[in-house]
Amino acid sequence: MSFARRDVAPDAWRAEVSNALADGWRFAGLWAEDSGLRAAFARHGERLLLAAPAARDSIVDLVPAAAWDEREAHDLHGLAFAGHEPLRALVDHDAPTPDWTVPVEGRDVFQVAVGPIHAGVIESGHFRFHVVGERVLHLDLRLFYKHRGLERAAQGRPVAGALPVVQRACGADAVANAIAFAHACEDAQGQATTPGLARARTLLAELERLYNHLNDLSAICAGVGFAPGTMAFAGLKERAMRLNATLTGHRFLFGAVRAGGSDLAIPAAAAAEARSVLGELRDETRRAWRELQFAGSVQERFDGVGVLELEDARRLGAVGPAARAAGVAIDARTDAPRLAYHRDFVPALPRRADGDVAARVEVRGAELPVVFDLLDELLGEPLEPAATEPGGPARRDGLALIESPRGQTLCAVALREDGVVERVHLRTGSYANWPALAQTVPGNLLPDFPLINKSFELCYACADR
Amino acid sequence: MFVLLRQLQRLRRDAALTAPPRRGSLALRHVDAGSCNACEHELTAAANPYYDLARHGLNVVASPRHADVLLVTGPVTARMREPLLKAYEAMPEPRTVAALGDCAMGCGVLGDAAALAPPLDELLPVAIRIPGCPPAPDVIAAHLLAHLHGETPAA
Repeated sequence: MSFARRDVAPDAWRAEVSNALADGWRFAGLWAEDSGLRAAFARHGERLLLAAPAARDSIVDLVPAAAWDEREAHDLHGLAFAGHEPLRALVDHDAPTPDWTVPVEGRDVFQVAVGPIHAGVIESGHFRFHVVGERVLHLDLRLFYKHRGLERAAQGRPVAGALPVVQRACGADAVANAIAFAHACEDAQGQATTPGLARARTLLAELERLYNHLNDLSAICAGVGFAPGTMAFAGLKERAMRLNATLTGHRFLFGAVRAGGSDLAIPAAAAAEARSVLGELRDETRRAWRELQFAGSVQERFDGVGVLELEDARRLGAVGPAARAAGVAIDARTDAPRLAYHRDFVPALPRRADGDVAARVEVRGAELPVVFDLLDELLGEPLEPAATEPGGPARRDGLALIESPRGQTLCAVALREDGVVERVHLRTGSYANWPALAQTVPGNLLPDFPLINKSFELCYACADR
Repeated sequence: MFVLLRQLQRLRRDAALTAPPRRGSLALRHVDAGSCNACEHELTAAANPYYDLARHGLNVVASPRHADVLLVTGPVTARMREPLLKAYEAMPEPRTVAALGDCAMGCGVLGDAAALAPPLDELLPVAIRIPGCPPAPDVIAAHLLAHLHGETPAA
């Protein structure tokens, strides 16, 4: 995998970003460091890091997907971006309401404020709906209630000490976050992966995807009050999590990923047993999925609700199942030289990529058989502890992209020579998709929001960090 | 739908859950004060057919005004301090605070001091401590039931 760092003068920042985009590089994230501004780009296994000693101009007109990144760099690191007008508060909660909401005026327009505490067992976050009657005209998000300063907490620690902090950015994407961090550190340290290590991590990533997709289908059924579906998929998820515990000792696979190697050992008998459990789970998942297809009252609630247009998905940089449901066939698994996916891996797409709730549900349904196939193959042989091997010279910066259950997650690290983490930045699939989610809500009815929200099933914890 | 219902019926038979020996109930209100979302997953899982928390009289309610127990997850971020205290203020008395998970118990790994409020213990009177990262659904149930019946939970 090739890596290039380009140092850019602040007044050449926009031109360099334009050039990168014209050369086919795809934006992957923007963040602040003590020594200035960084932006990451990806192109078929290649990674590009642009580094400027200071921020000057916004790139939000060139890369609308960078809007949240610039707002965060402003609120947390005090950077200013000329041309990003208005630069609304994102992480800064001291800002008065007009500073972070979009003005919506007119006859009978009023606001409905929801959260941060919600009625169910849901993470904390605030939604401000501008509505006329039941019809939503605009949605302003105010997240970051769960901001724990995790990036700062991980900094100054050695790699092994920082990993548990980065991993817990999100319980449900713990594996993806930990692999992204491990890969970024190994990338910086010039360590190459080995087949056994790649297989162990791919197995963990797909086990994580399995229980998450089952969870999402359960949550989506709950979003329309379809209790038999909620409970059936919750039961399937429970069995997937019990398998996680059997294989790794933890239901959420915590602690199963470390940097520099893997301690995961699955003897032949355990692997065979796991394949048989997965075989049963696969059959019952197929039956439950089929039943969901024939529940007409449920399917009709999914159709045409919360549409993410292809154009918006591209413009806002949507990732993961939500992007694929809108027809953007991006998946970091097609570009994962450090993992054990086949070179010709093709992401599953829905039959009709309409970008609505129905399409987002169908992407999960289409991906589940792929996940079961991958797991069956990965468990075909016993798994033994593995380590990285020397691959090249060490450098300060490391970048990694991982496909979490919610989409592409970027991890960027800067390591000191003694291996201490100087800076770590995590841009998760949830972070990338929240702006796209907000875009799908206007025009829908307010009571459809829980369904739309659950069809994305984004995590607040790993956006807030 | 009938296939799903049959599947659930079989699942319930296989899970062989026993009828609770004693009666009682607790209305639970959950507040996420900065968790990693794993505690939320496990609290939700406690309602799945393998655990069925509701058979013990344990139910999550929508408002703190209807709650006996405030179930708090996460290390308490600076931004969730006010909403958390407001939820507690809204509860009728007698009221109980439960720390759900290692972070809420003040022994987690999460966070930078500048982004966090003082630990839950210093903000509210914590009466129930449910350890784990995250605590499994049966552990959550065991601790809440022990409190309900005035017992000490098994370690």
